[in-house]
Amino acid sequence: MNGDYSKFLQTFFEEVTEHLSVLESGLLTLEQNPDDVEVLNRIFRSVHTIKGAGPIFGFTTMSRFAHKVETLLDPLRNRKCSATRQIIDLLLESADCLNMLVEAAKNGTVIDENKTVLDLEARLETCMTVTAPAPGQKPAPGPSSSAPAPPAPVTSARQAYQISWTPGEDLFQRGLNPLKLLEEMGRLGTVTSCVLATSRLPDLADLDPERCYLSWTCTLETDYPCEDIESVFEFTAPPGGLTITALSSSSPVAQPTQEPDPEPARSVVGEEDDPQLAEVFFGKKSEHWLGAILVEQKAVTPVQLAKALDRQDSLRAKSKEQKAEASMRVDTEKVDKLVNLVGELAITQSMLSTLGGHFEIKHLPILQERLLQLARNTQEIQERVMGIRMLPISAAFNRFPRLVRDLSTKVGKNIQLLISGEETELDRSVIESIGDPLTHLLRNACDHGLEPPEERVAAGKPEQGTIRLNAFHEGGKICITVEDDGRGLNRDKILAKAIEQRMITGNDTLSDDQVWALIFRPGFSTAEKLTDLSGRGVGMDVVKRNIEELSGIVTIKTVTGRGTIFTLKLPLTLAIIEGMTIRVGEDTYIVPLLSILESIQPKADMVKTLIGKGEVVNVRGAFYPIVRLYEVFDLQPEHKNPAEAILLILETEGERVVVMVDEILGQQQVVIKSIEENFRKVDGVAGATILGDGTVGLILDVRGLVKLARQEQSIAV
Amino acid sequence: MSRVILVVDDSPTMRGMVSHTLNEAGFETKEAENGKDALIKLTMMEEGGTKPDVIVTDINMPEMDGIELVKEIRKLSAFKHVPVLVLTTDNTDEKKEVGRAAGATGWLVKPFDSDLILKVIRKVLP
Repeated sequence: MNGDYSKFLQTFFEEVTEHLSVLESGLLTLEQNPDDVEVLNRIFRSVHTIKGAGPIFGFTTMSRFAHKVETLLDPLRNRKCSATRQIIDLLLESADCLNMLVEAAKNGTVIDENKTVLDLEARLETCMTVTAPAPGQKPAPGPSSSAPAPPAPVTSARQAYQISWTPGEDLFQRGLNPLKLLEEMGRLGTVTSCVLATSRLPDLADLDPERCYLSWTCTLETDYPCEDIESVFEFTAPPGGLTITALSSSSPVAQPTQEPDPEPARSVVGEEDDPQLAEVFFGKKSEHWLGAILVEQKAVTPVQLAKALDRQDSLRAKSKEQKAEASMRVDTEKVDKLVNLVGELAITQSMLSTLGGHFEIKHLPILQERLLQLARNTQEIQERVMGIRMLPISAAFNRFPRLVRDLSTKVGKNIQLLISGEETELDRSVIESIGDPLTHLLRNACDHGLEPPEERVAAGKPEQGTIRLNAFHEGGKICITVEDDGRGLNRDKILAKAIEQRMITGNDTLSDDQVWALIFRPGFSTAEKLTDLSGRGVGMDVVKRNIEELSGIVTIKTVTGRGTIFTLKLPLTLAIIEGMTIRVGEDTYIVPLLSILESIQPKADMVKTLIGKGEVVNVRGAFYPIVRLYEVFDLQPEHKNPAEAILLILETEGERVVVMVDEILGQQQVVIKSIEENFRKVDGVAGATILGDGTVGLILDVRGLVKLARQEQSIAV
Repeated sequence: MSRVILVVDDSPTMRGMVSHTLNEAGFETKEAENGKDALIKLTMMEEGGTKPDVIVTDINMPEMDGIELVKEIRKLSAFKHVPVLVLTTDNTDEKKEVGRAAGATGWLVKPFDSDLILKVIRKVLP
């Protein structure tokens, strides 16, 4: 390929990724509604684009595979047959395979004659011959050439052919595998003989391992017309390299040479002869030839070569990785609005500087108005810039219909997944991270949450289980709920298991919420038998940890026999948090608002020191450990008596801690700056931010404080 | 004044690459996402008193495909003489015949050869 198209590679991958998700969701729609021509056309176009653009970047396998998929889609699209479950299964598998090929291409790996690919290609072809008469080919000039779409091979009588095939010496270089071609031929009928001629093989010394010196003579009995045999070997043999002779009839079937189709452009436009064009289709060279030559010439040992190749691969993978992270697609509309806003900001700025040029005190109201405008501008720009990183959550939800479909087959339950709120937007880094926890929750719902059909029917429920996945905004946060209408959590079972695992003792009295929280403990699992899907005790603790890493929380609501709802509450973005500014002595700190339960001014008798528990405060009958912030950070506080200070009750991971501060200053959005990146990790501090007056404020790490409180307890013992 | 070529393809990758090839060769390009979009772009050009010297179009596109587009173009008095080259993965004789009947000037096959595409464009330039 001439010209430098490497800069389009990124565009290509982005586009292909979109096409693949269109393909998958389209197929799932198709399963519900097999006659939806609009969807079929959309799917077809996606596959078609992959096929068309693949070879430009040298992804011939991807393109060839897409072509096979397309050939199967064509009769569906032309209403010659309809999409059965079996076809959809096959197409979904093909979509996975395409996905794999695309991923491999992204990482710069060369997948050529991969087993999965070949297997699927063979199955696609088999499926094709059942659904359509060798589609995509010219009607055969034989007796049955008129046949529009009988679901069977296209000729009348079984015919034996002798095929002698001498491929061009450059066969391997064009990325073709003779064995595969012969197998493909074999699928047309029965090969009664296949003889390999090695007469062209040169002496070992002269043998070039990149060249093909072999030729074959086969006898094939087939129902297909001669053209179909020809098409198997299309573009593989030089003129005269392929002869097909019908054996039972005396005259050879007219089969001259295998010339590539005449160039289309030429046929209409001009006389130019451009032999490269035909080669473009198969013009792929392997990348390791240099190495092979070096080894052959004993310039390097195979071990050295392998090492060098490994290093190359890893370097390549690394650079690809970096590239992949470096760009993202943004709606042009969003960018346009932003540009517009920046324009407004510039106007406000120039108005302010005019005003500042000759400022008189009588202009004060105008100044205030302009400053207000500036505040509006900056706030809107901030929101819009954050918006650039926002994606609809459908980006994460898209893969779940497929997941649930596959799971329902696997666990033998009839499950429908209802998704709503997929247009809800949130930060793309959050979207990338919630995929795994949501997958775990859905798996759990399919495997444990929903009962087997018999049990459902016996309980008077519809046989089909329902899982609802919903996303919505609530008070500056995003909520995602995973709801099933299954059996609900079983309190007794969980308790029994927790006692067995020594997480609790039999004497502990636990509230329902505390019991449900047990399933998030590492190593917890109630499944009686281990299944392929879940029940290995990994999962729920990972879910919780993942969500908490995103500064989110997971809550459970469950009703026995009616179902379970898992609710994930996540911040819209990880870069900005809603914080409460507090003061200790002279210093200002920020506490993430999400973790504050309430703030109290205790009476003197509420604070006690308990043996083994350290200093605690009694809030409506519950005792929480107190952390004196000035002690942690070694400050000079205003108040040392808890009764004069203010206590903040904080919660994280279901544990509570009380922090003693001097004063609550207010609430504001803060941009988190990492301390670890710029300095080092500091216990009890999650990060820093710049406050309104330009000073630095530290953001408290609630989890760290809880740990601290626990240490103090143990010291107090 | 450089020659203007309208590139019609629903794939941004393809559009970008064709445009890139043509720009490198000194052509000015305009892009459209599908047949309908192309007709809108053409109308806008007509209002501005310009027209493309050549149109290169894909066939398989949403909204309006390339064949329909060629048919429509051939109906418009302002553009009916503009050469339209089809650039597609379809390589079958039937499809080519459909294209020819609709009024396409030439047929190029993807993946495209940039030398060939330039050669053909230079040949059909009015």
